[in-house]
Amino acid sequence: MSQENTKDSGTAEQKPVFSQGGVPTTGHSWDGDIRELTNPLPRWWVWAFYITAIFTVVYWLFYPAWPVGNTYTKGVPGLNSITYTATQVDGTEVEKTTHWNMRSKFMVEMNELHAAQKQWFDKVAATPYEQIAQDAELMQFVTSAGKTLFSDNCAPCHQAGGQGVIGFAPNLTDDHWQYGGAYEQIEATIVHGRRGYMPPFKEIISDEEIGQLANYVLNLSGEPHDAGSASSGAKLFQTNTAGCYACHGADAKGIEGIGSANLTDKIWLWANIPEMSTPEEKLKAVKTIISGGLNRGVMPPWEDRLKPDQIKLLTVYVHQGLGGGK
Amino acid sequence: MAATGTAATVSSNEQYNYDIVRKFTIMTLVWGAIGMFVGVYIASELAFPVLNFDNPYITFGRLRPVHTGAVIFGFGGSALFATSYYVVQRTCQARLFSDGLANFTFWGWQAAIVFAALGNMFGYSQGREYAEMEWPIDLLILFVWVAYLTVFVGTLMKRKQPHIYVANWFYLAFILATALLHVFNNLAIPVELFSMKSYSLFAGVQDAMTQWWYGHNAVGFFLTAAFLGMMYYFVPKQAGRPVYSYRLSVIHFWAIIFLYMWAGSHHLHWTAIPDWTSTLAATFSIMLLLPSWGGMINGILTLSGAWDKLRTDPVMRFLIVALSFYGMSTFEGPMMSLKDVNALSHYTDWTVGHVHSGALGWVAMITFGSLYHLVPRLWNTPMHSLKMINVHFWLATIGILLYITAMWISGIMQGLMWRAFDDFGNLQYSFVESVAAAHPFYIMRAVGGAFFLAGMILMCYNMYKTIRKGSVEATAEQQIEGKLSANAA
Repeated sequence: MSQENTKDSGTAEQKPVFSQGGVPTTGHSWDGDIRELTNPLPRWWVWAFYITAIFTVVYWLFYPAWPVGNTYTKGVPGLNSITYTATQVDGTEVEKTTHWNMRSKFMVEMNELHAAQKQWFDKVAATPYEQIAQDAELMQFVTSAGKTLFSDNCAPCHQAGGQGVIGFAPNLTDDHWQYGGAYEQIEATIVHGRRGYMPPFKEIISDEEIGQLANYVLNLSGEPHDAGSASSGAKLFQTNTAGCYACHGADAKGIEGIGSANLTDKIWLWANIPEMSTPEEKLKAVKTIISGGLNRGVMPPWEDRLKPDQIKLLTVYVHQGLGGGK
Repeated sequence: MAATGTAATVSSNEQYNYDIVRKFTIMTLVWGAIGMFVGVYIASELAFPVLNFDNPYITFGRLRPVHTGAVIFGFGGSALFATSYYVVQRTCQARLFSDGLANFTFWGWQAAIVFAALGNMFGYSQGREYAEMEWPIDLLILFVWVAYLTVFVGTLMKRKQPHIYVANWFYLAFILATALLHVFNNLAIPVELFSMKSYSLFAGVQDAMTQWWYGHNAVGFFLTAAFLGMMYYFVPKQAGRPVYSYRLSVIHFWAIIFLYMWAGSHHLHWTAIPDWTSTLAATFSIMLLLPSWGGMINGILTLSGAWDKLRTDPVMRFLIVALSFYGMSTFEGPMMSLKDVNALSHYTDWTVGHVHSGALGWVAMITFGSLYHLVPRLWNTPMHSLKMINVHFWLATIGILLYITAMWISGIMQGLMWRAFDDFGNLQYSFVESVAAAHPFYIMRAVGGAFFLAGMILMCYNMYKTIRKGSVEATAEQQIEGKLSANAA
């Protein structure tokens, strides 16, 4: 091996050297022993290349191919005609006949699918909510279309099965509804979105009072608490000192119209209290919310992203498909 | 750095500059190990997102260009510098035109790769695939490239051979095309003189088409033509056989050079580009199939009459398997460039699998084979272990097969799921279902990558032992010679 390093390269022009097959080399050589045989192009290779060239020309007969001035060749008319319906900016539909191109082929495929969907979407749009749920066949369509609509639009926050994440997005599968679980309420939530807000209380009441309120709130859902402190908290809750009743109601069961939480149902939206192991942790978590308030509960409006019939269908899907609608 | 200028290599050092070849060879190994490790890591991140550790610097989005930069430009680029400097000297019988400029290409190139990797991790990116480096790095690369061209052409001009060997045509085409691509794709205006941020001169469709003209020809000239240059030297050398057909090499060279430049827009099928560009790209890709295969045929038939070498010579096995993967991916590519096939394959893992069957199967395997040929000659000592070369071969081959099989299945599955409709005309699957379905194959891909990386690390170890031995032997010889000359005095 080491010999090759010092060995000088071969001379440039040599007499043709014959390989085993009797094919001569070109007579050139490099770096001592690199030579080239004069084999012709493999015949199959040449023919295969011609076939790709023929394929190419045929492809050009079907598709736009060569730029010519301000326009381009459009294939052979008649060979590649394609007709599709397009919706214009003003909403009117026009039928277009053109040559094969990416847009027209895409439109034909999409139109076929839209046509299949349309009769069902129309039926959903024309049927009152309660009757949709009675119609088994229509519900099949709602479940099929709703699954994808929900997964692509809602699941990033509410999760794939709609089970939500505590501290981020509410569970849609239980029968607790922050803003109401009737069809119209769900639809309003999807159309306009929601913005939950609770003011911070640390500037309004003392830390001790916040602790008393927190004990009261824990008491409401049967969590471990200090009874004495909780009874002081109840007073703060029900009077204008803290004024909690104004939003959460005197019974602390929340008000659907403003989306205030029901504090008595053991369903926790913002802190996973039942999973916490020590009473101190639970108390601290509730205190943090009361003192800092909440300004995280934002669901964006969907009226500009989905069509009305899609929103109606999603409403049924959330109400019936995920379960728990009222 | 390895020992240089030792006694055993002095004679060849006078005739040829091997020092620069050695430096680039070592960096090929270093960048190979780093780039492939990052690749395995980001593949694992895709399978197990917890590996992001909520640390922005190591998320997939930032590490991915670090991976591609390190393997394409670090590993592949260094391998091309090393082999082109070696091949051009030996086939021209001439020392490099300028040692100083060659050294500049080494340090400049290594600096560019380090800066590019750091820049990407810190969030600087032009957002152009394989050209993420921001403008200061682009300028550095430009200077390096002009130096490279000067050294290469200068060496060709002072050759003592009347004919320029085919490998050098390919290397020269690669250097010229890369200069052209790099300059035009990176035309950008910095926001401020001392700002890393710049904006491209192009917008919209022109921007996309310039980028993919670059991206595709980076594959065509950097990862294909240049490595064919490597193939044209190391395959006949290792086989000890003449190249199968001179005529085929001429024809397929010019066909590749002419056809490749048209094909870039096939990366943009079914987007807002003009239809005619899409058609031309598809058809020129189809016509590229046979010219691409010309290189494979010429390489594989060079071995005819010496097939037994495949059984006995693990280096030859690397080279021939590389050519086979080259043939396979240059068949797959034109098929994927047809509009209707692309409608299924676009945006899926199939594309990722295709790239890796070329990158691992062709680029890396031909590089491994060439380095196993090269290193014993550069350091004047046989490889430390032939058995390890053999094990490396199998680790690499199994790794590639796992990788591309996983991506074929997951890619075609994604494509089919995304276009599946039920009887109502509704999409049958949501996007996230296709993500969940791909998960097992992401794990399989990461495992395949780990196999390949293991082979790469084994190679580094084998090379390290070889180079150490070479250096030790050389030093010993030097000492003996020193004593002899002292005695003579």
